Amino acid sequence: MAEKILYSYTGLFDTPDEIIHAAKKVADEGYTKFDVNTPYPIHGMNNAMKLKPSKLGYVALVFGLTGAFMATMLMYWMMAIDYPIVIGGKPFFAFPAFIPVIFEVTVLSASVATVLTMLFVFFKFPNNSHPLHGTEYMKQVSSDKYGISIQADDPIYETDKVKALFKELGGKNISPVYYDNEEINAKHKIFEPKFVGLLIVAALLVSGTTYIVLNKLMFMTPFSWMMEQDKAIPQEINTFFADSLGMRNPVEGTIARGFIPYLYKGEPELAAANLVNPLLPTKEVMAQGKKNYDTFCSPCHGYFAEGDSRLRGQFPNPPSLHSQKAREWSDGMLFHIITEGQNVMPSYASQMTRQERWATVLYIHALQRAFNAKETDLK
Amino acid sequence: MRREDYTQELSVVEGKPPLRSIDDIIAKPLESKPDKKYFIALAVTLTMMAIGSVGLGVSFYYGTGMWGNNNPVGWGFPIVNFVFWVGIGHAGTLISAILFLFRQKWRTGIARFAEGMTIFAVMTAGIFPLIHVGRPWLAGYLFPYPNQHSLWVNFTSPLLWDVFAVSTYFTVSFIFWYVGLIPDFAALREKTVNKIKKVLYSVFSLGWRNSNRHWQHYEMVYLILAGFATPLVLSVHTIVSFDFAVSILPGWHTTIFPPYFVAGAVFSGFAMVQNVLIFIRKIFNYEHIITIDTLEKMNKIILLTGMLVGYAYAMEFFIAWYSGNPVEQFTFVNRAFGPYYWAYWIMVSCNVLFPQLFWFKKIRRSLPLMFVIGVFVNVGMWFERFVITVTSLSRDFLPSSWAYYSPTLTDGAILVGSFGLFFTLLLLFTKSLPVVSIAEVKAVVDGAQPSHGDH
Amino acid sequence: MSASEKSVQYTKKELPANVSKFGIALLAIGLVIIVIGYLTEPTRSAFNNIILLMFLTSIGLGSLFLVAIEYVGGAVWSTPFRRMPEFLSSLVVVLPLIAIPLLFHLHDIFHWMHPEAVETDNILQGKAPYLNTNFFIIRVFAFFIIWFVFYKLLTRNSKLQDNTSDQHLTTKNIRISAIFMPFFAITITFTAIDWMMSLEPHWFSTIYGVYYFSGSVLAALAASTFIIVWLNERGYLVEGIISDHYYSLGALLFAFTNFWAYIAFSQFLLIYYANLPEETFWFLQRWEGNWLIMSLVLIVVHFIVPYFGLLSQPSKMNPKRLMFMSVWILFAHIVDLYWLVMPTFSRDGIILGWVELGYPLAAFGILILVFVQKSKKENLIPIGDPKLKRGLDFRL
Repeated sequence: MAEKILYSYTGLFDTPDEIIHAAKKVADEGYTKFDVNTPYPIHGMNNAMKLKPSKLGYVALVFGLTGAFMATMLMYWMMAIDYPIVIGGKPFFAFPAFIPVIFEVTVLSASVATVLTMLFVFFKFPNNSHPLHGTEYMKQVSSDKYGISIQADDPIYETDKVKALFKELGGKNISPVYYDNEEINAKHKIFEPKFVGLLIVAALLVSGTTYIVLNKLMFMTPFSWMMEQDKAIPQEINTFFADSLGMRNPVEGTIARGFIPYLYKGEPELAAANLVNPLLPTKEVMAQGKKNYDTFCSPCHGYFAEGDSRLRGQFPNPPSLHSQKAREWSDGMLFHIITEGQNVMPSYASQMTRQERWATVLYIHALQRAFNAKETDLK
Repeated sequence: MRREDYTQELSVVEGKPPLRSIDDIIAKPLESKPDKKYFIALAVTLTMMAIGSVGLGVSFYYGTGMWGNNNPVGWGFPIVNFVFWVGIGHAGTLISAILFLFRQKWRTGIARFAEGMTIFAVMTAGIFPLIHVGRPWLAGYLFPYPNQHSLWVNFTSPLLWDVFAVSTYFTVSFIFWYVGLIPDFAALREKTVNKIKKVLYSVFSLGWRNSNRHWQHYEMVYLILAGFATPLVLSVHTIVSFDFAVSILPGWHTTIFPPYFVAGAVFSGFAMVQNVLIFIRKIFNYEHIITIDTLEKMNKIILLTGMLVGYAYAMEFFIAWYSGNPVEQFTFVNRAFGPYYWAYWIMVSCNVLFPQLFWFKKIRRSLPLMFVIGVFVNVGMWFERFVITVTSLSRDFLPSSWAYYSPTLTDGAILVGSFGLFFTLLLLFTKSLPVVSIAEVKAVVDGAQPSHGDH
Repeated sequence: MSASEKSVQYTKKELPANVSKFGIALLAIGLVIIVIGYLTEPTRSAFNNIILLMFLTSIGLGSLFLVAIEYVGGAVWSTPFRRMPEFLSSLVVVLPLIAIPLLFHLHDIFHWMHPEAVETDNILQGKAPYLNTNFFIIRVFAFFIIWFVFYKLLTRNSKLQDNTSDQHLTTKNIRISAIFMPFFAITITFTAIDWMMSLEPHWFSTIYGVYYFSGSVLAALAASTFIIVWLNERGYLVEGIISDHYYSLGALLFAFTNFWAYIAFSQFLLIYYANLPEETFWFLQRWEGNWLIMSLVLIVVHFIVPYFGLLSQPSKMNPKRLMFMSVWILFAHIVDLYWLVMPTFSRDGIILGWVELGYPLAAFGILILVFVQKSKKENLIPIGDPKLKRGLDFRL
């Protein structure tokens, strides 16, 4: 067996006050390669050990700002240059709308980078082969004792001096820690072949899985169901129907939702005979009828149904509605004419609802009555 | 009334337990086999998960038509559940990060557990954006990567901001949790005699050796993570609120949504944490670490955030009237008296009325009463998300488009399943990892720090 | 109550005479400018007066909030210098005086007070139950009374405790503080809505109260921090307020700067994104002409500079940095209020002249004089507070 190489001498203490005092003393004596091991951080220990402040804050700042910058640039390129789309009327580089993502990326990059830097760069973790691992000292300091370990490679190290110092400070279990054989040759785990191999395997697995999923799995059932659907697709050949057309006409007699078919299409006599005016000539109805008449009928028929069109010959004048024939027309007949049109007059079914047409009919009859008033009407 | 002595610092950990006993008591659940009660609890939660899986299976096989979502209520249970679970997660980060920044030592007993709850709640919440797209196997398209369609995601959409926010939140919370676990893994590594566990703990502890040179950086990073996690948690629920608030829908488009949602998230999260902790401290005998004082402080925070939520309700209502916008005014009348009036009044009573009982010290310190109020708060907050989402969609600008929304059994199954997943993960957590932070608790026991006579 | 190992040593020292002289000078010059301003340009003066009122309200009411939150939260680190926000909260007594000139000019400021305007405008008619002169004045005075009552209750108990060291007074104040909170929330919201949001009566924002709250707490913190650091560095307070306390103050300033920016951004983003003309016009007014410059200045002055100025750990503990940033933040708050109020008066562009100068001068004069007055009659440290020793022992 080769001679054991000394790593350090260690001493244990029972209380926080003792360890602070001891750490101060050790630092004052001039030792630099020493460490304090405690189950939890002790206030004031950093100053006692004369440690310089941690630089991890700067790491966070740098990575955070980098993240913010990268996110902004990427979004600018994607949204304003590579594939600009007008969304919600906003400009391509809608900066206020980019802020949430910029913020999240900043926090993510700063946090992840700082932690990884701390673990892999500052601590050089993972490292389970440190000489202190597996010692009784480590067991104690993980639980309820506080310890100091003064390394043998400190410039002013001398075993006797160190032992005496520990005794003076009241340290217990003063004992040496030796290197184990494997530990002495331990490199940083990151570069060990096993770890690199693990990373390569992981990379292969991830990329392989992604390739298979996106290029093969998506085309297998049931993931392909969305792509291969049983429905008839317009403008594609459809084998279900005899004429191979996927697009069909609506079934005979199909009408629009809420549509009520007009029963007397093309049949003025029947309309005149069967249709009954549902409205009574109240003030509101007559006002409605007047309004509709003035809007839709008066351009050709004139305001008083005399046929004095305002269109000045651009459209043939209709006959007066005060003729004997017109006055004898029933409500139904007038309704039918408005609904279907007559001769040159077009249909007004789409301009007036049925209610409105009936009100107009009443108004027309009122006009006709006005032009052929009886003595008794004046009373 | 108890006499308070303000000159004395309240002990965080009752009694002055020796440090080794803290190791023992926290490691005990990890070293002992689970008992019958544990298996019964696990059976219940696994059954709930099974119900959820059936719901999910049905949803994938037949499509999202199995849910109650219709036109115009295109957002139903999935988003309500999503917002609910993300909200629950926020209490954990608040306890961990924000209370740490405020130097509130009483957080130590509950921080580890709360962080765990955050992670599990975010995982549960994450199910919903995944499934609600109908084809979750294409979820990769949510992230901006160069794809064969040459398409990028819409960076100006709040739904995409959610993707970034929730992923970042999960990642940072997980890292924060893990960093906190490193010293505990080391402690367990040294303590355990089981060979397999020793290897596992060694791997996960990364070789931590309690060195103060490491503690120095560790504390700085912990502070930085806490400092980042705080605005992060605010930003996550703010971005979730943007899902609603950037729209033009009455009842959704109101500027107070971001702080209102954050307050509501803390509110529901604390109620859930309080509820679970009541069980944990009893089952594991952590009563002297998770003290009634701690629970009382949590109840005060529940009261505060409940009143913030009440303030937001009042502001929305007042400004809806003040704005003179008839559609906005109708929306609020509709919430209280329309077809969903029952949901609205459950929400108001559970969120505004019941928490007022926490003004009374006796109630704040009574375990059964605080538990009940906590349950009501969670019910109320779920209904709040329901009321916001569904009432505004079911009756918006165009009366001819109005329609009633009813959830289906599938919706309900998935909701039950989400609770099942959350509680299963919690149960597994209690048996595999230390639910209280060993190192942090040791640091706040009386006498743990040197007396600073010479500061 | 247990006896402390060593009792806290405090000797009351008078503030130097030139502090009050400085305050008097500022106030005098300010008042002269204000009076001339009112005689020559009354409407413009009235708008500036609103800014002054809102500025002093934010510090006075915000300071009362800081006192209350210390009681409710059980904080100990702030106990040694709690008197500073207590003194500042006495500003609520002065507020009615600041409001008086406004009461004579309400008609010039508020569009909705013109009956002709309301007659032709359905929207204003709808708001009339709330936006009418009588109810407005009732609210203004009701808020003054509520603030005065809570101010008196809290500070009286605190002052009494100096002599009696009675712990029950702390318990009482905790209760009063808790009850104060809902009153605070409602009154600060509606005072902001009444004096500032209703300047544009067609505009509305549910977060407006929170926005003013964030600015107020920040202003109160800044004013308190400046005073605490200035006095402590010159030995007027008590032995034991050290960098750990400064750090907490700096951290709070940093946190609330971020909170203000968050609220301001939320309000902006939501209105920008939905792009509804009934809401966007308010921001567009502040984006046109040279108001654009003011908007950008606001972002830099109120967020960017304090953010980077207080980001690092050492900066939060440095007394010079803290004092500088505190004054900076107070000015930033004035810029914020100016940006909220003035665009209604001057649609065409920024209006900055001698009239505007009088008000910040008067504001700082009033702040200094109020503080000096209180410090003459009372201890600068709550020497009877049971948490005082714990506060001085506070370490991060």
